[in-house]
This record gives sequence, C-alpha cells and structure tokens, in this order.
Amino acid sequence: MIQAESLTKRFGSKTAVDAVNFTVHPGKVTGFLGPNGAGKSTTMRMIVGLDRPSAGSVTVNGRPYREHSAPLREVGVLLDAKAVHTGRSAYNHLRAMAATHGIPVRRVREVIELTGLQSVARKRVGGFSLGMGQRLGIAAALLGDPATLILDEPVNGLDPEGVQWVRRLTRQLAAEGRTVLLSSHLMSEMALTADHIIVLGRGRVIADAPVADIISSATRSTVRVRTPHSARLATLLAQPDVTVATLEPDVLEVAGVTAAEIGDEAARAGIILHELTPLSASLEEAYMTLTQNEVEYRAGGPTEANNTQLQETKR
Amino acid sequence: MTALPHSAPAHHRSSYVPTGSGLSITGIIRSEWIKLWTLRSTVWSFAVMIVISLGMAALMSFAINPENAGANLPVAEQANTLVLASTFGLTFGQLIVAVLGVLIISGEYSTGMIKSTLTAVPRRLPVLWAKAAVLFAGTFLVGAVCSIGSFLLASAALAGRGVHANLLDSAVALPLLGSVFFLAVVAVFALGIGTILRSSAGGIAAVLGILLILPGVLTMIPADWAHDLVPYLFTSAGYGLASPSAKDLLQNLLIMAAWLLASVAGAALSLKRRDA
Repeated sequence: MIQAESLTKRFGSKTAVDAVNFTVHPGKVTGFLGPNGAGKSTTMRMIVGLDRPSAGSVTVNGRPYREHSAPLREVGVLLDAKAVHTGRSAYNHLRAMAATHGIPVRRVREVIELTGLQSVARKRVGGFSLGMGQRLGIAAALLGDPATLILDEPVNGLDPEGVQWVRRLTRQLAAEGRTVLLSSHLMSEMALTADHIIVLGRGRVIADAPVADIISSATRSTVRVRTPHSARLATLLAQPDVTVATLEPDVLEVAGVTAAEIGDEAARAGIILHELTPLSASLEEAYMTLTQNEVEYRAGGPTEANNTQLQETKR
Repeated sequence: MTALPHSAPAHHRSSYVPTGSGLSITGIIRSEWIKLWTLRSTVWSFAVMIVISLGMAALMSFAINPENAGANLPVAEQANTLVLASTFGLTFGQLIVAVLGVLIISGEYSTGMIKSTLTAVPRRLPVLWAKAAVLFAGTFLVGAVCSIGSFLLASAALAGRGVHANLLDSAVALPLLGSVFFLAVVAVFALGIGTILRSSAGGIAAVLGILLILPGVLTMIPADWAHDLVPYLFTSAGYGLASPSAKDLLQNLLIMAAWLLASVAGAALSLKRRDA
C-alpha cells in the first residue's frame, strides 16, 4: 500500500508535483499515466526517498520508505534501466545489491533465471541492450521479494515476447496480493495490464478510478449503424443530446442512444439495418480526452484534429 | 475493444526468500567491498600502483651512488636510505588513489548506479561510511603491499652495498606505516570531494589541485603568511608522516584529520540534503 498526502515537489519556481493525494492498494495493478512532465517519475522517486518532498508526505505500508528496516523487502523499484554501473556485470550488480540486506546469493541466481538473464549475467552491463537493461532492472526490483513493486516504464525497449512476460509477471505479482504501481506510455498495454488507473497532468491527479470507469466517464460510447436508409434514420434519431455522424453514405455513428433503442426505432419505421454495433472507447481515447488540456510538451498542429484522426484510425 | 482483466482474488503472498537480517551496516560494507573489487578501474588502479611503487623503488635503489653507500654508513643513515627508496613511489601512488577515491562515487552518479545504491540504503549516510571504510581498507592493504614490497626490493638491491635495515625497526616501520596511512587517507579525502562535486572531472581536478598545485602556489606567493601555511597542507603533513625523521607525528596526524574531516563532513551534508 502506497499513500500520498498533499505530496508536493517544487524545483525552483516550477511545481512538478502539486499537492497530490492518492492511495495505491494491494492486490491489483495500478497504472500511472500522464503526459511527459506530468510528475510521474518525480512522484515515484519521492516514494523511495530519492527526491525529498517540498511538502506533504508519502508512505509505503504505513511508513516513510526510509524508516523501514529492510527497504528492499518492502519495495522493489525499477526507476530506469540505467541505474546500474556500466562497468560491472549483472551478476555482480545484483550480488552487491543483495549483500546490503543479507539476501543470499541463491536468490540472486533465482532472479537472474526468472528474468532470463542467464546467458549475459557475467557480462558487463555497459554492453546490454535496452531490453536486457530492463530485465536487469526488474531482476533487481524482485531481489527482496517485496510486497510493493514500483515499475517506471518496464516494457520500454522490450520485444513483444518481453512485453507479454512483463504483463503476466505484474498480473501474477498483484494476484499474490502485492501492490503494483506501473507507469507506461503504451496505452494498449496499460489497458491489458492495469486494474486501476491514476492519471497525472501538470503535477495534479486528474483521474483516479478503475479502468472501466475511466473509459466510460471520459468518453461517450457510440453505436455504428449500417443502413441503406441512413438519411431517414438520422432524422428519426435526432434529439438534443444525440449526435449522429455520417461516416460513409450508408454508415452512421450515433452517440447518446443505445444500440437497442436504435434497433427499436428502426423496426418501428421499417428501416432495414445491415449492421448495429455498440463501440466502447479505448483507454487511449479516454486518456487523450482527460489530458487534452494538461499536455506540457505538445507537438505542433491542432490537438483536436490529432485526436479525431487517432480515434478514426483506431476504429 | 478493451479487454478488462479481472483481478484474481488477493491472498497472502507467499514469500520465497528466507527473511534474513535486513539492512545492516555489515551488509552495506560487504556490498561496497563487492562493488569496489568488481570494477576493472579498481583492479587496474591498484595494479598500476603496485608496479609503479616497485619500479620506483628499484630505480631509486640502483640510482643511489655506491660511494655514498657502504659499510661505513651509520646505521640510522642506512635505515633512512632504505625508507627513501621504498617511499619514492608515494608521489605517484597518491595520484592513483586520489583518482580512484573520486571515481568510486562519481562513477555511481555518472552511470545512475547511485539510484540503486540509495534505494537499497535510503538513510544514505551508511553508504558513505561503508564506502570510506572499504576504500580505506583496500588502499591500506594495497599500499602495504607496495610499501613492504618496495622495502624488500630496495633491501635486496642495496644489501650488496652494505645498506641494511630491519623492517620492524621503528625507524623503518613508522615512516612506511605513515606512507601507507597517508595513501589511505588521500583515497577517503578524494571520496569526500567526489561526493560533494558528483563529477569525475571536477572531483579529480579539485583533489589534484589540493594535493599538487596548492603547495606550489603557496610557495610562490611572496608573503610570510603563505609560507607559514605550507606545513598545514595535506601533502606536507602526509610526506611528514612518511619521512624517516618521524618528527611532528601528532601534529601531522591532526592536520590530516582536519582535512579529512572537512571533506567527509561536506560529503555527508551533501549526500543527506540533496536529491539523488
């Protein structure tokens, strides 16, 4: 369990994390989302005491991280894959980390096997690919068999097989009753992995809810209707809170009414339907809607257009 | 379109790691000892130091004018000659351990390793104490090998010319011990500067400036106060400890302690206060 209370971090005049409150519960995977510069990494660094909060506090399992007598057994953390001396082998890195807590070398071999690093364990980390570095970072996070895991962008640089492995691993760790906090930019991956989402924007929590709630609250679900009489159906459905978009001459996208209501209406009017498909929005769309006004570093061009384009390619 | 995973019912996690001692200072020291010896830079630095020390001792032994040597040399002079020959490599040795001391910590900042180190030991200061302890011990051990090796080499080279001395004689043992102690203190002093500056280039420049350039600058300033300060320099005290005339022993020890304290206290403050 991770609890942040009015957690604040200022760098000079810039407030990176602004009086944030949240709780990360055990037994599920909590996704940490937000645009670049939203304060995700700074928040994670404050949880494990690398950055000192300017105000407020954050505790892990009821105590500030530094006050635990065996920190590596409480929290396993992957902040970035480059938190390793490039001149040392993976095995020696893990052995040195383990030694601080009296964790036996047997456990070092276990995590090397678990993360599939056997063949490169004796090689110097400087020559590792990004993916191998990630695996080593995850191995280090698992060393102390911790109750809480904090993984910043764990699938960054992994191949599809590695991405799937991280997904299974995090799901399993959560199923074992551990607290898992995970950040990722891969929204589709997050949708598959996380149960709960916390969205940060400009240092503030802008959403904190189960994945399904985030999607339904941030987007309107729509219905795709294919009919040769699209114009007639569109007129029939016209209501103040119903929007009807014509995607193709015979395809409508309707928001504001359910598929069942559209079907009933069409039947009453004797309109033939060739397709009636309820579409639920993706986490990515929900995220885009939520963070529209919170993006700090925006690429050129109107965002509204980008979003529409994205939504259309998704469908 | 979005598959929502259902979380499995949470049960108590099964721990598969035996609950050991947890975080302890002995564990942190063991960790730092592993870290020290698993970097090639350490092994290379120490190897170079041994080679240079022994080489210098050999060079010095053969360079000593045979006319000045000989059976007619007083016993005290014989001991002095051997001490000079076996501590000749000290000037180079201090450079190597100074660089090593800075790199031990600046290397962690430049590679990001410091984040791993400080998440394992979030109270931070024990890391500094452990690093200082293993660096002192490692440098002392290697310094002792250099010192004793140099002495044996010089003894063997000069024995034929009638220069003899006993290693355990206080006139030999004290300066040799002093030179080894000086090297170990230089290493820890450099560690402190490296911790404050967090940069390899900056740290090395600062330490070498204090060890090598400061004495020259002070002697060049045409003022009495500058010359009066010279004995209080780090290197003056260190060379004093390593010189055959072990005079001002206590004063030199105190001067070195003061330099060391300033560096390590600054390092502790910086490590504790600043974000990693």
